[in-house]
Amino acid sequence: MSDTKSTPAPDSAHASPGPTELSRRDFLSEVTMGALGVAGLGGAALTYQYFSPNVLFEPPMTFRAGNPDLYPENSVTFLQDQLVYIVRTAAGFYAVSAVCTHLGCITQWKPEADMIACPCHGSKFQPDGKVIAGPAPRPLPHYSINLAADGELLVNKLEIIKPDQVLNV
Amino acid sequence: MATTFHAALENLRTTRVWKSIFRRGPAITNRTRSVAVFGNLFLHWLPVKVREKSLRVRAAYYLGSLSFLLFLLLVITGVLLMFYYHPAAPNAYRDMKDLRFVVSNGVFLRNMHRIAAHLMVLLVFCHMFHVFYRGGYKPPHEFNWVIGVVLLLITLFLSYTGYLLPWDQLAFWAVTVGTNIVSAMPVIGSKVRFVALGGNIVGENALLRFYVLHVVILPLLAFLLIGVHFWRVQKDGGLTVRSKDDDGKN
Amino acid sequence: MMEKTKIESGFSSDAKKEPRRIVFITRNTSAKVKDDRGPELMTYPHLLVREAIVFEVLIIAMVVLALFWDAPLEQLANPLLTPNPAKAPWYFLGLQELLHYFPPFVAGILIPTLVLVALIMIPYFHVNVEGKPLWGEKASKRLAVVAAVTLGLLILLAVVDAWTIILPTVFVAALLVASYFSKATSGWMGSLRLKPLSWWVMTWFIATALCLTVVGTFFRGPGWSWVWPWGTHAV
Repeated sequence: MSDTKSTPAPDSAHASPGPTELSRRDFLSEVTMGALGVAGLGGAALTYQYFSPNVLFEPPMTFRAGNPDLYPENSVTFLQDQLVYIVRTAAGFYAVSAVCTHLGCITQWKPEADMIACPCHGSKFQPDGKVIAGPAPRPLPHYSINLAADGELLVNKLEIIKPDQVLNV
Repeated sequence: MATTFHAALENLRTTRVWKSIFRRGPAITNRTRSVAVFGNLFLHWLPVKVREKSLRVRAAYYLGSLSFLLFLLLVITGVLLMFYYHPAAPNAYRDMKDLRFVVSNGVFLRNMHRIAAHLMVLLVFCHMFHVFYRGGYKPPHEFNWVIGVVLLLITLFLSYTGYLLPWDQLAFWAVTVGTNIVSAMPVIGSKVRFVALGGNIVGENALLRFYVLHVVILPLLAFLLIGVHFWRVQKDGGLTVRSKDDDGKN
Repeated sequence: MMEKTKIESGFSSDAKKEPRRIVFITRNTSAKVKDDRGPELMTYPHLLVREAIVFEVLIIAMVVLALFWDAPLEQLANPLLTPNPAKAPWYFLGLQELLHYFPPFVAGILIPTLVLVALIMIPYFHVNVEGKPLWGEKASKRLAVVAAVTLGLLILLAVVDAWTIILPTVFVAALLVASYFSKATSGWMGSLRLKPLSWWVMTWFIATALCLTVVGTFFRGPGWSWVWPWGTHAV
């Protein structure tokens, strides 16, 4: 408080040369605006945190896909509950996402045309996820697929693997 | 019958209660007619006099006024619908069924709300294009044009958030596709989508968020900006009247 | 010094003795400045009665419509099954049609953002406030520029095979060229010849948006393939 009392009046402040000429009014308004800015940023950050849920009640990302013998060779099986295609080729198994990379519609397996088709904007994919036609920007991702201890297939949708990685059984 | 009704009305106007509500006399002189406008909270943003030219139908085709009327209708029908609606899955869908099959006049209210919503989007677009073609955005109306663009956005958001609320296949996939467009935004896209939906998929959180936006935040914002929009129309000099209209051809 | 610039207001101030500048009127600003206000009518009743009549007509029309046209309600939302076709509300179907041709970032983010920014900035371009016609001065030079831009746009659209955008673009471009060569001084062609560039850009935008929305709403079926609205298709 004693500092503010000893601060010279604005007129004499202009008279005395200094590195920066900042009047008390300008200084206070800058401090106020700065404080408001910091509070605004902090508030925005807190609001963002508040709106990002920490616990989600969504379907689990790992699931068992049953015994490998369920899938005949050279077949594409759509697991509707998980939105995943289990593809078995001569080389082995892989799991392909059934969610279109364009805008998230659920694709459909068309056995007669040997392709995966999206109903929303007409994207078409090969069974291994490569884009044949349409606006889809990326191929369908492959999920990690392994054998559980009891011999069942185990798919982890959180882990995306390269398309050339195939599970041999 | 008509004369007795008229007489009764005249009698009513002489009562103390009526006079306490409407302090001016009957609006038969220009002075009392002026007071009727600027002395009334709900009309005071209107000018007391309007140019004859701006009263012609083709001056605005009533597009702005009708958009506002539709907004009011949407508020009324919307609040009534809220009495039977739970923003939760799958109760929301069951409430839609109830509105159609169980609640008296429920289906009528829902139809009105839906028709008004689609019509409002249409009329707000028409209003904007019409204002553009008439040059209504030119100085001194620049800022009111910007408010109008923001109001168009709010109208679209209002309609879109309302689209999810029935929680049927139509609603779910329209919103899934729409929010996936957001994640095409570079860098922050998927984060924005996650926060907007409150999850990775359109679920309970998304329904509740869209509901709160639809019934509280966006209508309040719209109401506020509509107020500013109307206010500025008068403060910026009234409707734009083209000098071309003077010779009667358009 | 301080005394002279002090603003006095209230009953004591005398505008005749001390004229004060209230407003600048510069060239090319407001149409209202040039315009004499013309005859005026009382808001109450003339405006309010008209508004009330229009409001009543609209409400009656809506009530009749609501009695006979039920809002649709499909099956309960199912995240595991996408209906075919999955469509957004009608006012976004133009965008969805764009999404068919362009990647999501271009059609879903870039184009809408550009349109929005353009709309907001319209009044802040002080170009051609008086609305001088496009085919005024230097008309032949302008025709060359317009033709080059239109041709470039058409080639770009042809590359992505976006013929639902090409169609309205060609239509508006044909009108534009016709208005250049026309000698009409009255009628609709005569008025087209007087339109400024901004009019043409907005008309092109509206024509394109309208065409995209109509095609997206009525002519797109399963897998976003072309269907006729009167034909039935299996889902």
